[in-house]
Amino acid sequence: MTTFLQVLLNGLMLGGLFAIVAIGLTLIFGIVKVVNFAHGEFLMAGMFVTWLITTRLGLHPYASVIIVVPMMFLLGALTQRVLIQPLMSAEDDHVQIFATVGLSTAMINLALLIFGADIANTPNFGLRTPIEIGPVRVLSGQLYIFIAAIILVAALQLFLKNSQTGRAIRAVAQHRVAAELMGVNVPRIYILSFGLGAACVGLAAVLIAPLYPTSSNIGTYFVLTAFVVVVLGGLGSIPGAFFGALVIGLVDSLSGFYIGSDLREAVVFGIFLLILILKPSGLFGKRMTLSHLS
Amino acid sequence: MSISDIHSQTGMNTRSIGWPQVAFGVLLASLLLIPLGIDNAFVSHVFITICLFAALSTAWNIVGGFAGQLSLGHAVFYGIGGYAGVILFNLGVTPWIGMFVGAAVAAVVGMVISYPCFRLKGPFYTLASIAFLEVIRVLSLHFKDMTGGATGMMIDLRLGWTWMVFRERWPSLLIVFGMLLVTLAVAWAIRRSRLGFYLVATRERESAARAAGVRTVRVRLVAVAISSALCAMLGTFHAMYLTYIEPAAMFSLAFSIQIAMFALIGGIGTVAGPLLGAALLVPITEWARASLGASALGLHGFVYGIVLIAFVLFMPNGIMGAIRRFARSGGKAAVEPAQTETGPIVAPANAVAAPDPDRPGIGQDILKVENLNKRFGGLHVTRDVNFTLREGEVLGLIGPNGAGKTTLFNMISGFMTPDEGKVSLRGVDGQFHQPTNPADFAALGMGRTFQIVQPFAAMTVEENIMVGAFYRHHDERDAREAARETAWRMGLGPLLNAEARGLTIGGLKRLEVARVMAMQPRVLLLDEVMAGINQTDVRRAIDLMLSIRDTGVSIIAIEHVMQAVMSLSDRVIVLASGEVIAEGRPQDVVRDPHVVEAYLGKEFAHAHA
Repeated sequence: MTTFLQVLLNGLMLGGLFAIVAIGLTLIFGIVKVVNFAHGEFLMAGMFVTWLITTRLGLHPYASVIIVVPMMFLLGALTQRVLIQPLMSAEDDHVQIFATVGLSTAMINLALLIFGADIANTPNFGLRTPIEIGPVRVLSGQLYIFIAAIILVAALQLFLKNSQTGRAIRAVAQHRVAAELMGVNVPRIYILSFGLGAACVGLAAVLIAPLYPTSSNIGTYFVLTAFVVVVLGGLGSIPGAFFGALVIGLVDSLSGFYIGSDLREAVVFGIFLLILILKPSGLFGKRMTLSHLS
Repeated sequence: MSISDIHSQTGMNTRSIGWPQVAFGVLLASLLLIPLGIDNAFVSHVFITICLFAALSTAWNIVGGFAGQLSLGHAVFYGIGGYAGVILFNLGVTPWIGMFVGAAVAAVVGMVISYPCFRLKGPFYTLASIAFLEVIRVLSLHFKDMTGGATGMMIDLRLGWTWMVFRERWPSLLIVFGMLLVTLAVAWAIRRSRLGFYLVATRERESAARAAGVRTVRVRLVAVAISSALCAMLGTFHAMYLTYIEPAAMFSLAFSIQIAMFALIGGIGTVAGPLLGAALLVPITEWARASLGASALGLHGFVYGIVLIAFVLFMPNGIMGAIRRFARSGGKAAVEPAQTETGPIVAPANAVAAPDPDRPGIGQDILKVENLNKRFGGLHVTRDVNFTLREGEVLGLIGPNGAGKTTLFNMISGFMTPDEGKVSLRGVDGQFHQPTNPADFAALGMGRTFQIVQPFAAMTVEENIMVGAFYRHHDERDAREAARETAWRMGLGPLLNAEARGLTIGGLKRLEVARVMAMQPRVLLLDEVMAGINQTDVRRAIDLMLSIRDTGVSIIAIEHVMQAVMSLSDRVIVLASGEVIAEGRPQDVVRDPHVVEAYLGKEFAHAHA
């Protein structure tokens, strides 16, 4: 029983981690309607910077949030401005797909060029301390990620619902042309949104770096699961991504324990394919997120 | 993304050999002759790699380019070929047989995993293809007994042509060059054939392709099977060349991206593009890898990424796109035909109201519509609609906006299934059939146009019409001939080589009719072909419809242009709120108080009563 509870809790914690990676992805898709295949590499970049700051300056990894989050915001905004914006009116999807795939390839290999193939371990500053909750335990860093994910979801929801900019963002997400006619500066909203999505993954990078070794291909590892989470939760839905992440975290943890750790990815991607094919609007999705269906 | 490449550019009818063909031939020959001449192990290795990637990318292009389904999981098929080859090799079966076993397995796997994914668009198809790649990689790691797991598999030491393993490089070069030629020939043949046109048409506008009688799922499955089989055969070859395989290398995402990337850089959807892309990029990166060694780990990938971004931003149609633009600006700019130019239209312009003496008489029923009901949620879109269409008759279908006219069309052409009721169409055999999907309707001679025009934007006018013409003509040259003839008849002759996306709305409407006419339908459904076009074009459209009618085609026309309805229709049906409220001769129907009320409201009807 304790084992089962522990597996369950591990799953929830993993879910929190998937959620914090996936929120930025779903935000960008929901608004800009671009699937950012380089999202994982944004995470990787953030983790490397966190590692540099922590090891070179000896700061607590969480302190690097002051640098990493604005830096990622700029990177995201720049990506939108330079790479995506000129392609927004492209007639074929493949152009946008190749653009972010190209960015992803370039970033992975740039990291390989700069940091080599070795893995970079960010000092954990006690973030790997087990915390006992009744009979089960979690790492403090995992718990912080889980809490941060909840706060991030709530904060984004508040921002999108109540602020003037948030309303403009939602208007653009729902109908780009109508929003433009109402005087919303659509290109600026896109740049802002892409930056915001990248900033979210920057926060994720800071929180994850102390727990996972950083390497040039760490992004691929996380982003594939993030795609699963985002599709499961309904593309563009932030709360959906959160709950989708919890589901996938639990599935990952349970199947890893009961089926075999080498097959858990197959289970997760199997579920992904089933959802994509059978219920592409996601578990909690509404009809309006069906934009990817013919 | 344009589909015409160098072959069709210079004109099929003449079969002339222009400089692009010569250049391409020289490039192809140099892939074989340079390494044979230099006879250096490294040079040979580079050229083998070029041929391999060029062939893989050409095979990918059949699905990714022609069919427009951007797969980033094509390494699955390459890997299946590799594993099939090695496993059979170690059981004592020659890879010459093993590659066909691999091809068969890959074709089946390709069709099974693609079938459910066809309804996914753009990035979601891509994501699904990546997910399948991951699943298969994880499974190949798990089933160690068969695949050797993460440690990989080595082939037993057996040399010679039987085993496709050699000490020297040149036999491998010969084999892979031969495979490249085969792959190019397959791609070229597909591109020119009916299958190729159907694939591109499906990519550009699925519904219009279905209306033209294309079985869209089937043609894409065929494309996937061919593409996967070719990739698997190349995988078998490469496994023999490497003599060692492992899941991480055989089922790699980066490898899949590279395959797709060469096609994009060379020119996606063209026959020659993938080869150009591979020939340009592989030497640079192989050289960087060899000369800079471990110090430049990641350099070639970085270059790939940057080049890919640069191409997407500045040359999204790849090298082939640039060549085509160059060729076009060099010669043809002056002969751009004017959009308003008129071509011959056969029908006599004065024959509007009076029945043509040569006109075949109205025959027996050809289409029967019985008790059609359709609900969208709470909205009852059509209610017990009954009518028949007789052979050679022109039936006008009018009604206010939202009356359910287009929904009715969708149900009588197979695009939508009615909740209740049935649609029967008389075939050439004289029997009534009840088809259920657009392709079956088309097979019985039903043709339709769309209210919102659906051109295959990247195709020329001629190619658009050819998609329809392929319905009757299986050979590409016959179809082209028929398409040209139809184009001239529809007044589109001067625009044959113009891209459809550049046409005016009047031109697009005519193209829509021309495409369906090329199918030589027996029953024609015209959905507002006159809406939004100018007065001159309306006259021309009326003449056009008369000329179609006079060939014995039965027509149902949804139309708001009353001038056309009155002069064309033998009979008119009025639909309002999903119900047939009037039926009869055009002159009578327009005076019917119910009809006046439906269009103009109760008060207007009362005031005039």
